[in-house]
Amino acid sequence: MTTTLNRPAKPVAAIKPKPTFKQRLNVFDVKASPYLYIAPFFILFALVGLFPLVYTFVVSLFDWHLLKGQGDFVGLQNFTEVLQDRFFWNSLFNTVSIFLLSAIPQLAVALFLAAVLDQNLRAKTFWRMSVLLPYIVTPVAVAMIFTNMFGEQYGLINNVLGNFGLDPVMWKSETLPSHIAIATMVNWRWTGYNALILLAAMQAVPRDLYESAALDGAGALRRFFSITLPSIRPTMVFVVITSTIGGLQIFTEPRLFDPATAGGSQRQFQTTVLYLWEMAFQRQNFGKASTIAWLLFLIIVLFGVINYLISRRIATADAAKPSRSTRRARKRAERTTR
Amino acid sequence: MKFVRRHTVTAIAGVAAMALMATGCSSSSEQAASADNPVELTVTTFGTFGYDDLYAEYEEANPGVKVKATNIDRGSNARTDAFTKLAAGSGLSDVVAIEEGWLGSIMEVSDQFVDLNEHGAADIKDNWVDWKFKQGTDPDGRVIGYGTDIGPQGLCYNGKLFEAAGMPSDRESVAELFGGGDATWETYFKLGEQYKAATGKAWYDQSGFVWNSMVNQMEEGYYTKDGELNIEGNPEMKDKFEMLAAGTAAGLSANQTQWDWGNGKAFVDGSFATFVCPGWMLGTIKGQLESAGGGTESGWDFADVFPGGASNWGGAFLSVPTTSEHPAEAAKLAAWLTAPEQQVKQSAAANNFPSTLKAQEKLVADATPNVVFNDAPTGVILANRAKGVVAQFKGPDDSVIQENVFGPALKMLDAGTADADKAWSEALTLLNDLVVNN
Repeated sequence: MTTTLNRPAKPVAAIKPKPTFKQRLNVFDVKASPYLYIAPFFILFALVGLFPLVYTFVVSLFDWHLLKGQGDFVGLQNFTEVLQDRFFWNSLFNTVSIFLLSAIPQLAVALFLAAVLDQNLRAKTFWRMSVLLPYIVTPVAVAMIFTNMFGEQYGLINNVLGNFGLDPVMWKSETLPSHIAIATMVNWRWTGYNALILLAAMQAVPRDLYESAALDGAGALRRFFSITLPSIRPTMVFVVITSTIGGLQIFTEPRLFDPATAGGSQRQFQTTVLYLWEMAFQRQNFGKASTIAWLLFLIIVLFGVINYLISRRIATADAAKPSRSTRRARKRAERTTR
Repeated sequence: MKFVRRHTVTAIAGVAAMALMATGCSSSSEQAASADNPVELTVTTFGTFGYDDLYAEYEEANPGVKVKATNIDRGSNARTDAFTKLAAGSGLSDVVAIEEGWLGSIMEVSDQFVDLNEHGAADIKDNWVDWKFKQGTDPDGRVIGYGTDIGPQGLCYNGKLFEAAGMPSDRESVAELFGGGDATWETYFKLGEQYKAATGKAWYDQSGFVWNSMVNQMEEGYYTKDGELNIEGNPEMKDKFEMLAAGTAAGLSANQTQWDWGNGKAFVDGSFATFVCPGWMLGTIKGQLESAGGGTESGWDFADVFPGGASNWGGAFLSVPTTSEHPAEAAKLAAWLTAPEQQVKQSAAANNFPSTLKAQEKLVADATPNVVFNDAPTGVILANRAKGVVAQFKGPDDSVIQENVFGPALKMLDAGTADADKAWSEALTLLNDLVVNN
């Protein structure tokens, strides 16, 4: 290792000295290194995010058979055909219906659970862990157990109903019951998870607010609605957005609810992703399947934008900025879901 | 100097590696497996295949070969698995089981499978019943699959339930009751109505399987021999559909879920009294009875008769995809598994019916009583049922038509939400949407 101090004196030149290799390396290091450090994420994203997105779009412009491969270029014909396809709209209706049936009760129950867990309970960790338990069970196992319970002729629930002399519910052949059954699976899995995120936000609400409210004579309910809820609004928005994205992509539960069909014999609970799957692997039309994938992507983006606009309005309506710890809790939550 | 030398060494190693790879890929110079050259062969089957003991036997007889087997629960899932991997261009096992119902799709990409003629298919061609071997041959004469089993259909019936309904229950009388060699679907449905009147219970589990049997029995099914769709304006098919719809409307269908049957409970609680049985279905019923905890006392039996005459539903093939790294070894395993001796063992394990002549003869000679089916000599009966079976041309969308076009329409009949006309027109609409204008 030699340093510049030990070097023999450089020949003095009138013109600006040419930077040595090492200097140039230094400059390069300063200017380019940051990009290199963040490159792994972007390279990965380009490989597994951007490239499939673009490639799917390319495929959607062709007649593309699953097994035989690329066919003729058809432009946007696949898009016009899918948009006129009654099964596509049916799948969209099912998706939104199952999403609403799952997201709304799920959030309500998660809020309630979080509020209960936020109290001074004995064996706190035990209770918190137990609400997360359904989340670590694989969705396939969940779907199989619930599918069994919701069986029409031999299912547990209809057996119990039969014991009370009630008519069996057609869980798999009627639209609304099937949506409720699938929403139940989703709720069972995700309620505890959302409850924990909301709990993290609730823990960050300054306790002195509650104390002064209590001194002013506010009851538990009043404190919950006037202090807890407004304080955790940003986290609520986050939970709503993630469950929207998840809800629009629902696949496993309806797929396994009736393993013999792609979402019910008359497509009673065929969600959009399930329709995409049918298009690709049963009807073997890869072009149209890619089209559905893209339309679904656009729909999710649309929902995302709506969510964003609403959340911005909430943020501006919210006079008090969220405290640092609330933000930290939210960030923590974001990281875990990623 | 050192630096240079290292480069040369790397280069030589690289060339050598490439040469090795090149030789490894070409089947002609593939080195046979031995204790010094161990080879792992992957096999994917579905449903009840009965190969587990055979794999062990093969491993023992061929040192160096390790068989890694995967079994997929049902044919339709195996189809998705195979299609996905074909589309991806990788991931298929060295030996893949293909079902007759989606063989039509596979034939469209038959060049993705090894021509077994390169591995001695011509020498063993006479093992099989000729139509089975022809089914596994593509239009260019390439053999892409060795037949495992065929699906000649007999009638499964529940002797106990028959007796309770005041009907004869022993095999011979039942065969006669249905009309023996001249059994027709009319008689089948007429007897069903009698049974329903006597017991108030259903005759068959659901309409889908009865429909499959009816269609498989026709000379030309969903496609003509020339590969044209053969559904709209096909009076024979529509007549059969109306006959089935009338039976179902009369309450003869138990509206069960295919391949589920309440985890087999429907087979033990007397929900239905008859069941259309291709050979391999016997294995399925055995599995269902086991999962429901039912045994021989559940009363199932197997009669040497089938409405409408000889019918073949299903049966499988073993193929070797071109992506296999050991095509010669894989072809050897496929040929061994489908050879007569092994088919006899497979039949014993899985209750299905072999596709090679010698194995069929052996089953007839043995006449082993099948304990699950009231000691019926199922092998002998199936051999009788196989007489007069003609192979039907299966088009590229055969399985889609069966499951996604007629499946929903028949379910409407079972659920009682549509009459024959409405269900038939629903099937035609679906056909147009899913197949014609796909």
